[in-house]
Amino acid sequence: MSAQFELAQNPSDVISAVKFAPETSTRLLVSSWDNNVYLYDTHAEPGGKLLEKFEHRAPVLDVCFGRDENEAFSCGLDWEVRRIDLSSGDQTILSTHDKPANHVLFSAAHNLLISSSWDSTLHLHDLSTPGDFYTLTLPSKPFSMSISPTKLVVAMASRHVFIYELDVLAKAAVESPAGEVPTWQRRESSMKYMTRAVACMPNDAGYASSSIEGRVAVEWFDPSEESQARKYAFKCHRQAQDGQDVVYPVHIVAFHPVHGTFASGGGDGIVALWDAAAKRRIRQYQRFPSSIATAAFSDDGKYLAVGVSPAIEDGQDDIADGAIKVFIRELTETEAQGKKK
Amino acid sequence: MTKKRKRYPDLNQKLERPWCYYCERDFDDLKILISHQKAKHFKCERCGRRLNTAGGLSVHMNQVHKENLTQVENAIPGRSGLDIEIFGMEGVPAEVIDQHVQDTTHKHFEEEAERARVTGNPIRGAFTNGAAPPNKRTKVKESLEEITERAAKFRIDKANGVLPAPPVEKKKSEPTPPATQTPVAPPTQTSPFPPGTQYPPPPGAPQFPPGQFPPAGPPGFVPGFGGAPPPFPPGGSPVNSAIPPRPGSIPGQPGLPQRPPFGAPPGVGYPAGTDPSIAASVDELIASATASAPSADAAPEKKSKKDKNIRLVYSEDLISPEEKMASLSRYAAFVRG
Repeated sequence: MSAQFELAQNPSDVISAVKFAPETSTRLLVSSWDNNVYLYDTHAEPGGKLLEKFEHRAPVLDVCFGRDENEAFSCGLDWEVRRIDLSSGDQTILSTHDKPANHVLFSAAHNLLISSSWDSTLHLHDLSTPGDFYTLTLPSKPFSMSISPTKLVVAMASRHVFIYELDVLAKAAVESPAGEVPTWQRRESSMKYMTRAVACMPNDAGYASSSIEGRVAVEWFDPSEESQARKYAFKCHRQAQDGQDVVYPVHIVAFHPVHGTFASGGGDGIVALWDAAAKRRIRQYQRFPSSIATAAFSDDGKYLAVGVSPAIEDGQDDIADGAIKVFIRELTETEAQGKKK
Repeated sequence: MTKKRKRYPDLNQKLERPWCYYCERDFDDLKILISHQKAKHFKCERCGRRLNTAGGLSVHMNQVHKENLTQVENAIPGRSGLDIEIFGMEGVPAEVIDQHVQDTTHKHFEEEAERARVTGNPIRGAFTNGAAPPNKRTKVKESLEEITERAAKFRIDKANGVLPAPPVEKKKSEPTPPATQTPVAPPTQTSPFPPGTQYPPPPGAPQFPPGQFPPAGPPGFVPGFGGAPPPFPPGGSPVNSAIPPRPGSIPGQPGLPQRPPFGAPPGVGYPAGTDPSIAASVDELIASATASAPSADAAPEKKSKKDKNIRLVYSEDLISPEEKMASLSRYAAFVRG
């Protein structure tokens, strides 16, 4: 059996993101609604060691690592996109949206930072000139975004899904063109309900998205008819209760960087691993104590971090002590492996 | 991994279990039985050595401890003899096996009856042969309007000679679901209803799926309806008379057996000598019936019913959970505006 443990020092409010460092798979960033970004060494001591805590002015909605292990970017309810120097703790504001900024993404290959906000814009930051950014206007609120080696997928309200080429975005960030930045593809979500999360396949072939209505869809980038015919959606994260199907939102989808399988986490507290190609569930883990707010694989695919938080769906004002937890799961070699060809 | 044990194994599973001749205990598999025998019945009480058989233990006692073994330890009365060589299930006399089978069977039915009494459930397998369980009416959730509507429709269809459409089409349009999704039940059309199987009335389905037509039998004999109240109005029961007149190739062959259910594997229940052209023409008829209207309304109705019976934990359509959270009072201090 592979080991699973929870971090000893957890945030005190809902977890918004967990992210592993690109190189060291024991270095973990956790952002929380308690206004802090936490940096852990998950294996320094049993239960992990809290290395540093970076206080923000408002709840932090997302965090990601930058070029190296000592650079991070965060965004939050205070509308601001920040760069954090993890060694010194210095924070620099890179841009300010017109509404809370809900996601940040960094592409090392393009030296590009992308932030999204409920003001229906993306900010494209060319990091060679910090503080310069280009505002890309979207048709509606972005809810989730994900990058593959060459593409950016933005899932928005009203079931819009836009796919951009990172090369085009990186160019736009530098040149700040006057006209509209061309999308590579515009799609409509294949699910009827609000898109909750999106994640790109590490092999650049397609993406998976999840909705608030217990459903996950898998699609391919290739616009050819054969590839588009392969797309599918399936129901998950549901429970039959008194003859009624209780349908939970699927808060997170995350691809395994090595095996190309993906994990989904839902409001039912369940994390399941799926094989997108074989259309099979690989395994489902024992129920976590409350909603899976977020989850992430480490870059080497050895660890899965799961952020568990209650009260994401029902908007309750009080959260029981000790209900917020980050679990680290150590995966065995074959645990997330799909069906062998 | 051992096989998962059922809580209530059926008789065959119980009879398959290996058991110990000396003490009548039964085991999950032969390996465990053998290790049980070695530990309980063939173990040397002087040195603890575990032998494979009673004979082996006897020789061991003789040679190592210079003692004579007179009986097998821990055996039930009458089974402690050294004359029979037992190893696992080998060497058990036939009459002892018969006795064990009888006892097990007897005990099994006693247990089933006791459980039926305690739980109030019908005894498993007791009502599969077309007999209805006592006090249990087949449940058909239909309002009076629906019944009359269905009856009227059936009459019209019958008058027009339209066979109800097979419901296969809508299933085909769904993508192959991953493992977790409730597996779509294999369409009943693929297997002809075995005679004597209880007929399940499709709840709410106004159509009579052709796959559930009883297979050809003697005219007037409707297998599967014995005991159970026919879920369809009298006169509309799917006996041979409900089959529309076959369009022409061989007119007037009343003795011709009814065609097996649509989609049944060729050859099953297909009597030799039947003209394949009839089959083809009936196929055509079914296909044309499929194309025409009556099949269309069944599918969406079913779907809407399915949708009603779910409860969304989060049901906003334009506001993400984070936005909803941001509007909570505890975050009011952080909202910029």
